[in-house]
Amino acid sequence: MKKIDKSKLEDLWGRLAAEQDLFLPVQQDSVVNFALWQEGSRVNLEAVNSLLPPKDLLFPQSEKIFSYKRREGELSFEEAPGSGPQVIFGIRPCDVRSIELLDPVFFKEPADTFYKNRREQTTLVSIGCLEPDTTCFCTAFGIQPLDAEGADVMLYDMGTAYLVSPRTEKGEKLAEEMGELLEEAAGAEEEGLQQQQEAAASAQEHGLDLDGVFEKLNDMFDHCIWEKFYRRCLACGTCTYLCPTCHCFDIQDDGSPEEGQRFRCWDSCMYEDYTHMGHGHNPRPGRRERVRNRFMHKLNYFPKDHDGVYHCVGCGRCVQKCPVNLDIMQVIEEIGKEGVGGEGHDR
Amino acid sequence: MNLTEKMRQEAAQILESKEADLVIGWGGGEYYWQSPPLFLEDAAGAAELAFSPFIVNNLAKYLLEELESHEKAALFVKGCDTRGINRLLQDHRIQREAVLLIGVPCAGLADREKLKAAGYDAGLLQVERQGDSFILTLEGEEGAREVPAGEFLLDKCLECRYPNPLVYDRLLGEEVQKPRERDPMARVREVQKKPVDEKYAYWQEKLSRCIRCYACRNVCPACNCRECIFDQNAPRWVGKANQLSEKQNYNIIRSFHIAGRCIDCGECQRACPMDIPLMEINRKIIQDLTELYGEYEAGIDPTDVPPLGTYRAEDPAGFSER
Ligand code: SF4
Ligand code: SF4
Ligand code: SF4
Ligand code: SF4
Ligand code: SF4
Repeated sequence: MKKIDKSKLEDLWGRLAAEQDLFLPVQQDSVVNFALWQEGSRVNLEAVNSLLPPKDLLFPQSEKIFSYKRREGELSFEEAPGSGPQVIFGIRPCDVRSIELLDPVFFKEPADTFYKNRREQTTLVSIGCLEPDTTCFCTAFGIQPLDAEGADVMLYDMGTAYLVSPRTEKGEKLAEEMGELLEEAAGAEEEGLQQQQEAAASAQEHGLDLDGVFEKLNDMFDHCIWEKFYRRCLACGTCTYLCPTCHCFDIQDDGSPEEGQRFRCWDSCMYEDYTHMGHGHNPRPGRRERVRNRFMHKLNYFPKDHDGVYHCVGCGRCVQKCPVNLDIMQVIEEIGKEGVGGEGHDR
Repeated sequence: MNLTEKMRQEAAQILESKEADLVIGWGGGEYYWQSPPLFLEDAAGAAELAFSPFIVNNLAKYLLEELESHEKAALFVKGCDTRGINRLLQDHRIQREAVLLIGVPCAGLADREKLKAAGYDAGLLQVERQGDSFILTLEGEEGAREVPAGEFLLDKCLECRYPNPLVYDRLLGEEVQKPRERDPMARVREVQKKPVDEKYAYWQEKLSRCIRCYACRNVCPACNCRECIFDQNAPRWVGKANQLSEKQNYNIIRSFHIAGRCIDCGECQRACPMDIPLMEINRKIIQDLTELYGEYEAGIDPTDVPPLGTYRAEDPAGFSER
């Protein structure tokens, strides 16, 4: 295996950034988020996962679809400019998996061309997590904190260097760009990696069991359990905006009859106007229905359509940041305690 | 009896005697720092209540919705929370008879970020207050460690002037003596000193992080309009696009709307997932109001008139008849 010395990272980034857009976790105040690399960026590769997931780089919080102009009665349209190649460097295995969960949503025919174009031109360089955060529970979803199956290049933190393992064609191409900055790793380092992998698998202590959760939820739409959770919710949508797998969007216009643009932007099922219909009715009139929708979507509706795969990767962001501690791990546990079929429907 | 037991007993009694048909308090969680708001209609549930140095959620705002379906709600309130109650009373959004207030004198709450920064997060099981210390219960051999509470208090607690409830029906425990240890306006003065360009760049950088989740609005006891302008679709006053101008627009409108009504509770900044120093904005406005209209603290006396809730002929801005 090859390795790259950490002292050469700045050189590496400079080189990669010359060929494509390079995004890395950058520190600003107490916050670490993915940002375009520039010389002098305060890159932080130690923070386990960024506050906002890198989802914005494939599915931006808002993006123009087209703009229009009317001049002397002539209406003209201009499509949004296409996107170029990009590297997301330092993405964690949970977030890599989240992208694999977004793919079927946006690739399903008719494919979402905005997402597809970006995705096809994106190379994912993932760093394994040696020290998961206290709220990480990715292993509950079968994710290996040290290995992201869907990464193009996997980096393993060996202290003063990263072991570099290209996984895909895109990954090989990137490794070529790295050129002489890569060196041959020593046998001892590769052995060290094996030990790390064993240690990392047992480092998380969540004790969560997802077995049967999806099936139980089939009968829990009207269950009293939602009563217990929704009341504290402030409907702020933080949990959905910080979530790497949430992907709902709204389409809006901005401008005048003469000139303007149509864009799409993130939406959240936690918001009042999310399913507010034109004729005034809202099938999810209150927080009870909205909170239920969030958990049902992650733990039941999505798995139903995707071979039982849950729509959560255990990144723990919503657990960390929900201002009222509405904790998805607790929700999963409570669902797990319920019997299958019929019981507890006493709302 | 410790505070947790007192809270449980009080809540059970209230519900059993039907003095109120709802109790709102704080529960416990998996992590030492969790203290989710808890809603009880049944005395049996009282055992879930838990006191800890993380009972930071101000429960006052829940009254708006809960009182639509309950006759009377009992609520646990810290000093800062009661200013929120006074705000809601002053705006006639709740009736005093519809709430039963159980005051909890507060010696200051713990800041998880400060604990984390000192290396106490992983392996920390519980934090308890004991006199001037926090007792940290740790995983593994050491078991427990005592640290000075002052080093790990929330900033807002260091800056707090009203640790004891201002309005209550019952008090759990003795009133605390807790002098304000830090000047809340110090940070405002510091930012204010920056040259205009720098100040603009400073706020641009902070506000560019805003994701417009509106957590700051939803948690705020001063934001209690029946219909918020940010929720209106037609017309839509603030666009949904992720643009700095919209973020600035939102943040400016929010802070102006709570001018003279902000109770300085810091909940907005705590709820903000993006770590935007909203209190610097809110307090700048408090400072301006003081300069223009004289000293005023919102949520102290529900019968007074807030500076922007009235008009006087000597208004420094004059009066335009349009
Ligand atoms: S639901 Fe929460 S833990 Fe799961 S992926 Fe989304 S933010 Fe992460
Ligand atoms: S959830 Fe797993 S992959 Fe994600 S940051 Fe934590 S340990 Fe790493
Ligand atoms: S972050 Fe918490 S309070 Fe906000 S919408 Fe999500 S669950 Fe509700
Ligand atoms: S809570 Fe923070 S991120 Fe959310 S809208 Fe308010 S300022 Fe913006
Ligand atoms: S603006 Fe912030 S500090 Fe002021 S009352 Fe609202 S939540 Fe509290």
